[in-house]
Amino acid sequence: MGDNSMQKQLQNTFFHPDLLEIPADGSPAYLKGYRCRACGQLDFPKLNPCPRCWGEEFEVVPLSRRGKLYSATDIFVGQAGMKTPYTFGYVDLPEDLRIFCQLDGPTGSFRCDEEVELTVGTIRIDSDGALVTSYKFKKIGS
Amino acid sequence: MKLQRDVYIAGVGETKFGRHQLEFDALGRIAALEALKSSNINRPDMIQSAYVGNGTNGLVTGQTALKDLGMCGHMPIINVESACSAGGMAVHLAARDVASGFSEVSLAVGCENHTLHMKTGTALSPAMTDIETVHGAVMTGKYALRAQRYMYETGATIEDLALITVKNRRHATNNPYAWFKGEISVEEVVKSRVVASPLTLQQCCGIADGAGAVVVCSEDMIRKLGIEKPIKIAGTVVRSGPYHNRPRDITGDDITEACSRQLYEETGIGPDDVDIVELHDAFTIAELLYYECFGLCGKGEGLKFLRDGNATHGGKCVVSPRGGMLSYGHPMGASGAAQIAACVKQMRNQCTGYQVDPVPRVAVTHVTGGGLSGTEHAACTMHMLVRP
Repeated sequence: MGDNSMQKQLQNTFFHPDLLEIPADGSPAYLKGYRCRACGQLDFPKLNPCPRCWGEEFEVVPLSRRGKLYSATDIFVGQAGMKTPYTFGYVDLPEDLRIFCQLDGPTGSFRCDEEVELTVGTIRIDSDGALVTSYKFKKIGS
Repeated sequence: MKLQRDVYIAGVGETKFGRHQLEFDALGRIAALEALKSSNINRPDMIQSAYVGNGTNGLVTGQTALKDLGMCGHMPIINVESACSAGGMAVHLAARDVASGFSEVSLAVGCENHTLHMKTGTALSPAMTDIETVHGAVMTGKYALRAQRYMYETGATIEDLALITVKNRRHATNNPYAWFKGEISVEEVVKSRVVASPLTLQQCCGIADGAGAVVVCSEDMIRKLGIEKPIKIAGTVVRSGPYHNRPRDITGDDITEACSRQLYEETGIGPDDVDIVELHDAFTIAELLYYECFGLCGKGEGLKFLRDGNATHGGKCVVSPRGGMLSYGHPMGASGAAQIAACVKQMRNQCTGYQVDPVPRVAVTHVTGGGLSGTEHAACTMHMLVRP
């Protein structure tokens, strides 16, 4: 997929600009952490106000692109309207954050505690039939 | 919250669980009327308040269920929704109502019809406003993540998890209210189709319809009604799930651990004294983890507790004597109230063919509720029942 078609798709169906940054200069995408300027707590996803101190000013912190897969499962009976099978899991980032995400790769291929890296892809088709793009994780180098 | 005065259960009712053509309100009326009649209550104005648990059937579900019993008009009917915890939470609120002196008699109902309204071949998921739901989360999968991690850390196998289904279906063999029951082999459980790896179909509770009801009274009212075998609500706890999007151990369950600790503290009754438990065995893995969360055994000893026969008849604590959700199915708003109904019948020695021997003196019930990102569960409701 070329940059132009990607950009077009993102404008229509990107979930959600507060979560994922895909830099225009072609550098790797990253998840956006939010550090509360009042108490220093780092959260993902963005919570406003900060649930710890109700601070309303945040510094955006690019999160690590690699993390450790805590657990994963292949879904064969899914949400209404979602094509099966698909795989999801929890990825633990070095910033002490846990990310729930879909995993890109064959069913049965993921193991607890293996290292995975951020990727971008389609997570679902919305009610208008448009592809919804968001963050996913995949095996290193796959 | 400690109850300010003694609160008792006068009577209970439940429908058979399964696939029903009757709507949620009709199911609720069947359970409610059975609970009321078994409480020697013979007219609607004897009830002073009602709490009705339902998860998915819409608005004013309680009034819809109770108006045809003549219970609208003279009293408050309050609708209770917290997904799978709703029925338990309705009983909690009825108990609070009586404990505070607001009512002498309060009715709690849990009722739900899923199958008339759900597309087959799909799984229940939290609301689309939730970030995990947008990314494809379903409840089966969230429990599957716990199972994968538990197996990875402990070396437990899928055959081990299957033992929970085998046990609970055996418990339910002669229970007329259960849906799936009787002998099933470990192999049949393991070889049924995969829903969310490693959980197979026979390790997941069925999507079912049903209702349960509980009449809660003051001590004075128990005497006036002439109830011979009142069951005391020794403790009732509701909590909401702690929120944080950080790594945590999901082979435990923070909200269930906190609820059970609070229940033991408030009642002065510990896990060693509990004779029977009905817990949230929506999936096999859940029951295994909850042995540990409840303190029925130590951390990491759940599988040994099961294998040693401690969770069945003749063991330390009979877990899921009615057959649990793995036998009943799980109409989300109904289960919490139906669990309490089933425990009361056990404590009254009314369960011919599936009665726990000796007749239980202390029972614990437990329903969690709701997938919500950053929490293990949005809600958890537990009760401690004691036969005086």
